[in-house]
Amino acid sequence: MEFNRTQLDNGLAIVAEVNPSAASMALGFFARTGSRDETPEVAGVSHFLEHMMFKGTARRTPFDINREFDELGAMYNAFTSEENTVYFAAVLPEFQAAALDLLGDMLRPALRQEDFDAEKKVILEEIALYEDRPHYRLYEKLMSRHYGEHPLGHSVLGTQASIEALEREAMQAYFDRRYSPGNVSLVAVGNLDWEALVAKAEASCSHWRPAPAGREVADTRGTLTRESIADGKLQRQHVGMLSSAPSAQDEDRYAAHLLATILGDETGSRLFYALVEPAVAEEASCSYRPFDGTGALYTFISADPDRAAEAVEIARREYARLAEEGVGEAELEAAKNKTAAGATLEGELPMGRLSAVGADWVYRKGYRPLAEHIERILAVPGEKVRELARRFEITSATVLTLGPRESL
Amino acid sequence: MDEQFFTHEFDNGLTLVAQRMPQVSSSALTCAVPAGASHDPSGAAGAASVGRSWLFRGAGDRDTRALHDALDALGCQHHESVRSSHLLLSASMLGMNLSEALGLYADILRRPRLPEEGFEPCRDLAAQALEALEDEPMQLCNLLIREKFYPPPLGRNPLGRAEALATIRADGLGEHLRRHLTPVGTILAVAGAFDWNVLRQVVGDLLADWRGEPAPAVATGTAAGGRTHVTKPTAQAQITLAYAAPTAADPGYYAARVGQMVLSGGMSSRLFTEVREKRSLVYAVQARYHSLKTRAGIFVYAGTTPARAAETTEVVVGELRKLPEGVGEDELARARTQLKSALVMQGESTSARADALAQDWHHLRRLRSLSEIAGAIDAVTVEDVLEGARSHPAEELTMLTIGPEPIGGGAGA
Repeated sequence: MEFNRTQLDNGLAIVAEVNPSAASMALGFFARTGSRDETPEVAGVSHFLEHMMFKGTARRTPFDINREFDELGAMYNAFTSEENTVYFAAVLPEFQAAALDLLGDMLRPALRQEDFDAEKKVILEEIALYEDRPHYRLYEKLMSRHYGEHPLGHSVLGTQASIEALEREAMQAYFDRRYSPGNVSLVAVGNLDWEALVAKAEASCSHWRPAPAGREVADTRGTLTRESIADGKLQRQHVGMLSSAPSAQDEDRYAAHLLATILGDETGSRLFYALVEPAVAEEASCSYRPFDGTGALYTFISADPDRAAEAVEIARREYARLAEEGVGEAELEAAKNKTAAGATLEGELPMGRLSAVGADWVYRKGYRPLAEHIERILAVPGEKVRELARRFEITSATVLTLGPRESL
Repeated sequence: MDEQFFTHEFDNGLTLVAQRMPQVSSSALTCAVPAGASHDPSGAAGAASVGRSWLFRGAGDRDTRALHDALDALGCQHHESVRSSHLLLSASMLGMNLSEALGLYADILRRPRLPEEGFEPCRDLAAQALEALEDEPMQLCNLLIREKFYPPPLGRNPLGRAEALATIRADGLGEHLRRHLTPVGTILAVAGAFDWNVLRQVVGDLLADWRGEPAPAVATGTAAGGRTHVTKPTAQAQITLAYAAPTAADPGYYAARVGQMVLSGGMSSRLFTEVREKRSLVYAVQARYHSLKTRAGIFVYAGTTPARAAETTEVVVGELRKLPEGVGEDELARARTQLKSALVMQGESTSARADALAQDWHHLRRLRSLSEIAGAIDAVTVEDVLEGARSHPAEELTMLTIGPEPIGGGAGA
């Protein structure tokens, strides 16, 4: 496998991991923009804009775009997070040029008023869809409580009110700033033709005009508040906890991932044995979320309303015990093996590699082959995991619960 | 690309099917045991869901923790799922750990401890999962529609019913599981990095002398069909519809798959275009094909704000019923391309291939190569799709909705 990189004159970065033995290829435009880059008046604009990218350009109607993707037999989608908006497609190698032509064109959308008005209704349906998912509701509100004034607390979807009030011109202005070529990267992996990729990107994207697109990046420990939201329509008590963790730039992110795995992987973790195996909670997990300049450890528990408080107390005791006593050799080995196997499996699929190579580039302006990632995971000493648990005070967390109870 | 398939049918009724994938270093296994939801004892709906976690509470020499630790030490990602006819035990791992993993699974299949003290937590977990389902209306309606559409108990919700779960006892479930953990009708599928001679030897050593009877046949009733509404104060109305389709073994299968792609394959498909793009009625709308051995259906979903539920249903049903009227050559071409492309990409995933091999053996008693499937897709003509749509029209719809109020007007049954 070979890694290549270059940059167009206007600042668009192009990176690729070439794997001639893959059956397919995947490519994506990674825009370094998301809810954290929004002001309250335009809450949800990044995500709405992601939708609008599919609604036509100067030379393509919305149906043209949909039809062409389907003609390519592409597996395609886009997503918006707090920090990134990504448009990607996986295609058979012979469709590389056509896929890039399509995606490259889309990234300069027409943003027509009638499409804007129509798609607004779809966004409102999506907001309603997520209203019916308590896990998502909890996560969104928890992020807001934990981060407070810090921009990572912004909602990705926005609210019904903010979306209804949003105007096309505000979206255009946001797009002009944030989709500057210097703020976007073209990433490709799999069985691809590097020279052709660069030539095509030059043809499709050289006319993109640069604009300044910065980002305030600051670390934070979070507000560490505790709150309950009562909703009598729910059956289960959902509990979410966030505590601070290494950032996406921090080399300690490997240890952070192992810490989360040991604490709360789906199988064989502390939370599994303490909560799920004895059926105190039917779901209990911990995951590591790296961001730009900061990070978070996210714990989720779903339990009977009558047992939720007990479950949280047990979880806290387990976290305290790990911070105090550290991790056992066997559980560290297991976490490493699971992580290494998982990374290998993910790496066998172009879409899996696209995420990994994209993250390496967007967050660290670098590249690491899969083997090196795995090496670093395997090299983490147990003491480092304990040190992280203490340094980041995993027992101090922002807590939010959503369910029938008024309080835990 | 050369496709390497292997099969071996053991004398005890167990079938081993495998696909070697030279470009990967991982391996995946899927073990399909005839202990799915439709096999739950009468009055014990949900038994399979309890069973799937109880099976992992120790096997052979290992108690719960030792068994989980052994799987984790191999870096095994495993999950267990309950389908209609089978309980699926699946795992992915680095290829070099496959033989050891098979050893653990052989213990689970042949020597599960099913400890008394482990039973109650497993039943409790299943009951909690059922309660949690009430908080997820989209998931819930997609499960309930199958209960209405398929002849009972084939479409049974794998999580069962609260009242039934409450009556399940350890000895009864233990007996049921041991009866259904049988090599007869069990399919062990492996895909990825392995040596066939080694694999066959290992599986033979572990499982060739495993004995058991065929699982009892499942007696089926008449499908309920009809229209059902479940009242819930949800933000969106959840709408599901189902109608009959050819099974996976039927000659009309490929035409039906292509037809389903025309309806719902990608963003240029009919449902997406008419319901979402043109009318902004939904965020999510889709039609999926699902097949059991003896029955299959097209399952349609749409979610919209309650005030627009009737209109959404009308537009959706209108599109489903329009299919027999005509399909463009361009639509056909796109549907074929998407299906074949999805196949190639599935071909890169060891776990997806292990699942597909088990499915193929269950439905067809043979394995289909990717080139066979691609050829069959290419052979489908517009006339085939229309003929299929005429012989399996969107009529006699089973419908199930969840929302603050019943959906008025719209789809006649």
